[in-house]
Amino acid sequence: MFFCVQVYKDPSKGELPLLPEEHVQDSAKDVTYICPFIGPVRGSLSVTNYRLFFRCTDREPVFGLDLPLGVLSRVEKIGAATSRGDVSYGLACKDMRNLRFVHKEPEDSLKKSVFEVLMKFAFPVSNNMSLFAFEYKQVFPENGWKVYDPLAEYKRQGLPNESWRISKVNDHYELCDSYPAALVVPVTITDEELRRVSSFRAKGRIPVLSWIHPESQAAVVRASQPMVGQNGRRCKEDEKLLQAIMDANAQSHKMFIFDARPSVNAAANKMKGGGYESEDAYQNAELVFLDIHNIHVMRESLRKLKEVVYPNIEDSHWLSNLESTHWLEHIKLILAGALRIADKVESGKTSVVVHCSDGWDRTPQLTSLALIMLDSHYRTIRGFQILLEKEWLSFGHRFQQRVGHGDKNHTDADRSPIFLQFIDCVWQMTRQFPAAFEFNEYFLITILDHLYSCLFGTFLCNSEQQRLKEEVPKHTVSLWSFVNSQLEEFVNPLYVGYPSHVLFPTVGIRHLQLWVTYYIRWNPRMRPQEPVHQRYKELLAKRAELQKRVEELQREAANRTASSSSERAGSPTRSITPVQTFV
Amino acid sequence: MAFCLLYKPVLQFCEIVVNEANFVRKCIGAESCQDDLWGKLVCTNFKVSFIAHNSLPRQCTHRLLGEHDIPLACVEQVVTVNDVKGKQKILGSNQKLKFNPTELILYCKDFRIIRFRFDEAGPESAKKVCLAIAHYSHPADPQLLFGFEYVGKRYHGSTGERVNGVDPGGGLQTPLFDCSSDWDREIKRTGASEWRVCTINQGYFISPSLPEFFVVPVSLADQDLKQYACCFYSQRIPLWCWNHSSGSALVRMSNISDPQQQRKVEQRISSAITKSHPLRSDVFKSDLDKNLPNIQDIQAALLKLRQICVIDSFEESEEKWLSSLESSRWMEYVRTFLRHAVEVVYMLESRHVSVILLEKEDRDLSCVISCLVQLMCDPHCRSLHSFQGLIQKEWVMAGHRFLDRCNHLKRNDKEESPVFLLFLDCVWQLWNQYPAAFEFTEVYLTVLGDSMWVPVFSTFLFNCPRQRAEHSRDFASSKSIHLGQDQALCFPPVWDWSQQFSLKDQTLFNNPLYVGKIATCVQNGTVKTFTHRRSKKNYSSTLRGLPSALRNGSLGPNDTLTRRNSLMLRLRSDLSQVREQQETPSERFVRDFFSRPVDLQGLLLPQLLPSHLSVWKLYFLRWVPEAQIPQGGPITAFHKLSVLTDEIEMLQNQLRQYQGAAGTPNNLHAEHSKMYFKATSTPHQSPAPPEYLSSSFPFSPVGNLCRPGILGTPLSKLLNGAKIWLSTETLANETI
Repeated sequence: MFFCVQVYKDPSKGELPLLPEEHVQDSAKDVTYICPFIGPVRGSLSVTNYRLFFRCTDREPVFGLDLPLGVLSRVEKIGAATSRGDVSYGLACKDMRNLRFVHKEPEDSLKKSVFEVLMKFAFPVSNNMSLFAFEYKQVFPENGWKVYDPLAEYKRQGLPNESWRISKVNDHYELCDSYPAALVVPVTITDEELRRVSSFRAKGRIPVLSWIHPESQAAVVRASQPMVGQNGRRCKEDEKLLQAIMDANAQSHKMFIFDARPSVNAAANKMKGGGYESEDAYQNAELVFLDIHNIHVMRESLRKLKEVVYPNIEDSHWLSNLESTHWLEHIKLILAGALRIADKVESGKTSVVVHCSDGWDRTPQLTSLALIMLDSHYRTIRGFQILLEKEWLSFGHRFQQRVGHGDKNHTDADRSPIFLQFIDCVWQMTRQFPAAFEFNEYFLITILDHLYSCLFGTFLCNSEQQRLKEEVPKHTVSLWSFVNSQLEEFVNPLYVGYPSHVLFPTVGIRHLQLWVTYYIRWNPRMRPQEPVHQRYKELLAKRAELQKRVEELQREAANRTASSSSERAGSPTRSITPVQTFV
Repeated sequence: MAFCLLYKPVLQFCEIVVNEANFVRKCIGAESCQDDLWGKLVCTNFKVSFIAHNSLPRQCTHRLLGEHDIPLACVEQVVTVNDVKGKQKILGSNQKLKFNPTELILYCKDFRIIRFRFDEAGPESAKKVCLAIAHYSHPADPQLLFGFEYVGKRYHGSTGERVNGVDPGGGLQTPLFDCSSDWDREIKRTGASEWRVCTINQGYFISPSLPEFFVVPVSLADQDLKQYACCFYSQRIPLWCWNHSSGSALVRMSNISDPQQQRKVEQRISSAITKSHPLRSDVFKSDLDKNLPNIQDIQAALLKLRQICVIDSFEESEEKWLSSLESSRWMEYVRTFLRHAVEVVYMLESRHVSVILLEKEDRDLSCVISCLVQLMCDPHCRSLHSFQGLIQKEWVMAGHRFLDRCNHLKRNDKEESPVFLLFLDCVWQLWNQYPAAFEFTEVYLTVLGDSMWVPVFSTFLFNCPRQRAEHSRDFASSKSIHLGQDQALCFPPVWDWSQQFSLKDQTLFNNPLYVGKIATCVQNGTVKTFTHRRSKKNYSSTLRGLPSALRNGSLGPNDTLTRRNSLMLRLRSDLSQVREQQETPSERFVRDFFSRPVDLQGLLLPQLLPSHLSVWKLYFLRWVPEAQIPQGGPITAFHKLSVLTDEIEMLQNQLRQYQGAAGTPNNLHAEHSKMYFKATSTPHQSPAPPEYLSSSFPFSPVGNLCRPGILGTPLSKLLNGAKIWLSTETLANETI
């Protein structure tokens, strides 16, 4: 099947590749793109309601740039016009590159420059317009909005059962507006008690089940920080809830609370009314801090990384420069935290509660990575989609805030590459276990590209409630519609799916590597390594061809044997080698 | 899968036990001793052996060495410790030991660190065995290296017939380049018609370090060569290495020692090389000493790399791993060598000129560069046997001082340098970037590196062919060995892999991805060689509807993945239009290469961005328990690929059988299969990778890396290292 999402007509003839409902808004000739790799390139630039398209026609071969406006985080005029009336524009992108253009200002001062038009369409939210995802009306044979059904997923995990029930207390998002409607809680805790717990947990994000071990019944539970404050407030319902979580697992008389933060940060949160569980109040719980830093540290780390990898890599100090960004160190801490959680659940048969401050950044990073380690279902393509829908989207990772879709406020302190970091961690695991994941690297890159593109509705809004309110599923296309309609593109041919296999990655820096095919992909010196997957597919095709031929011959031989055995009844030994019976 | 329950050491034919101690404990874990093994520690004239009372089965067995054996040549340093008295001593040959050792630590050249404890052993026997190990690992004379006994004993059959089937290579497919016919074949193969085999060094009368046969321009007569020889360092007449298909030659040359003759001789040589070029092209001289690190630099880099890989505590080195790796400079040197080779390739490939590799002695750096150039340019060299032939030609015959560089005699540390290992790392980088282009695997490269420390093979025992001839003649006469027809003892080359491994284990060397040989496809009933070039159809499908001019190699994963819809953000840049003033012609050559689809049977250039070179983990980190990925690592992909390739082989056999050809019956398939991991009887059902696979496979860190405890590193340092990066105090003792 071939889905014509993007049709390239012949760009050299000046025809733009347009999506359904995509329209050219403005274009300009004589724009110069200052390519950091090859120097200035003159050509024409077009802006649609979805993308920026730059094409250079006066050179052979043709040079082009084609990017969704969603990746732009900042568009700004650099300096004043030169004597020739040239104005320089800098475009900072969310996908690790910066672009620079030079353009002559229109002499007619009433006419808007193409870059002003660009600014309008790059930041529709700031300009009271809707995102392109709401216009894009591509129809795919698969409906990605149906991928995740919470009740079906909980049923797969064997829930509800004698210890856990599915509560409707948050059906109308009254208990917690950033949580999903369906919550799994211990049967011994009433909805009334849950309401009381919600006043004790930051943003009302109460401890609820994410995953349960099919054999030991050890559970992964997520929450936000308890509102302990400086005075050490306690909440007996919260204490009862955690006790109930522990009791639901008969295998262990202990439980672990993983606080993702460094202990200093957790303590500092007490000043703001937050904090962490004291071991006095939660007697059978052991508290562990995982030392993962906050969104601001991560944003800064990625900023440094961008400096180190774009546009050029400094040959002589590459490794120490990379080290100074701390990016891999953060990746390591997140993976190490997830590994400890998975290990407690799998080897210790202990239930765990995971939280950070609000429970929507570091918490989904940790729980979803631990779930990938524990449950092979989440390593399939559809399972991974369910995981994202569940742990990230339904549990309210603030995608709109963290990515800043269509918002021109690029200095917003709420932006942070939390989700990118998670995908990077997944990629690191796929490197260590090349046969354990059904999806390939292109799948992960596609997810990241459409995290920013605003072509699909999947990553819009901050919570399930908001998405329902905006009717996102009704008005936009899901990324999974696109992906699941052409799955073969995203399949890792080396995948061996074997159930109940727990992955314990090695989290040392020695085994982590920079994801060059993502972070350095714009560098023309960069070339992907020889594709083993491609070769593997060729071998698969070869095998299929050979199998067909062997089967044909087998059938032929069987027919001959059948006819010959009727002639030579009583000499069965001869028919063992069918070819020779006719010789 | 040997189950070793014998309490006796397994000895080679001519191996003798020198000393032994009972009730020795071999440390397995760093901290606790509950996994430690009890057994007997034995020192022979070949190895340090530990015979455990309860041994575990192994995946891969070595024919010369048991699970706990270390060849003496592999022992780098012998350290004895008395932790009660707080003393330690590094033992050399013929030394005394004033305390009774409680512990023996062996630092090995292959990065292993092995620890034995003598708590229950008799103090005297412990001391004796330590002294014996120290003494025997420092042989005073090359003829005391085990290889001589090993080979010599084989001539002691009653009729002078060889025992154990020593075969000087007749049965091998690897050309050894010790006879003129191997050189003739190489001249023919590369079309170097203007070059000839020269025999003036027969009997090594001209140059002590050159082989008896080598190749020179036809325009130089023997008489001229004899005259020029004295001008060169060690009378090393310039050696022909290889011819490019354009007719350009790759030649290696030592410095001219006589400054007065320099210009004249250089001119004669250059003009002779020019005459041998079909286009009469110029000669380009590439000065390796000026552009590359020297052997001491390389040695220093490896020592630092070893420090951070295996000696520093894992947690401690973890924090600064990247910057420490950088400051070791090992990766930088790997890159420098690869880059220099690319420069030479550019001259040959693009400028069509002949290249002379110039190095003072022409016995170290030239070996690396010349091999790398040939690997990049000549797909022939990427098959297993030709790769071995290449090493024979450019290392063994050209007189790389393996004896000195390996420091087998531990006599002169200044001469020790891991030039060959650096070369293997460069090859690994190429292999890692183009895994389908080579017939061999990284296990092969690792095992080849390890074989340097098994002092039995002609390949790594000598500084040059003449030394081999002399020593083996002397040894034979001193031991009154009747050599029969041979002129000297015939040492097996390392290429006779059956000396070390079973046929089954050797299949680990075969790369299931290799295109040239295994992937044959059957069409119309005939077996046809599969072309490795990406099919055109396949390629264009990545860019449906786009004019070819719009695509290039800058798109990252675009090229690796075929796709129908391109929703990916793309930057298309035209690489051939880069501002030329900024770029040297060779950079342009490299860029052009990367803008084209790669042909695995053609030129291969390595990606040289520092972000694209990796640490050769299998070699350097295989013993580090913390760095092991249980049930993971590249081996799991290798497993899957092997099984698939094996299925294809099986189906091809079946086809042949059905077609009535003299095919192998099905049941013989298993024995003949080239793959270590076999297809199951139910194809289409992917078997799960076996449980024992780990990123270290087929090696195991168990008991092979015991970082020194109390005395090896200061205790304070050790305790600091124990503070793990992610734990609170309550969890400090937990292992995850």
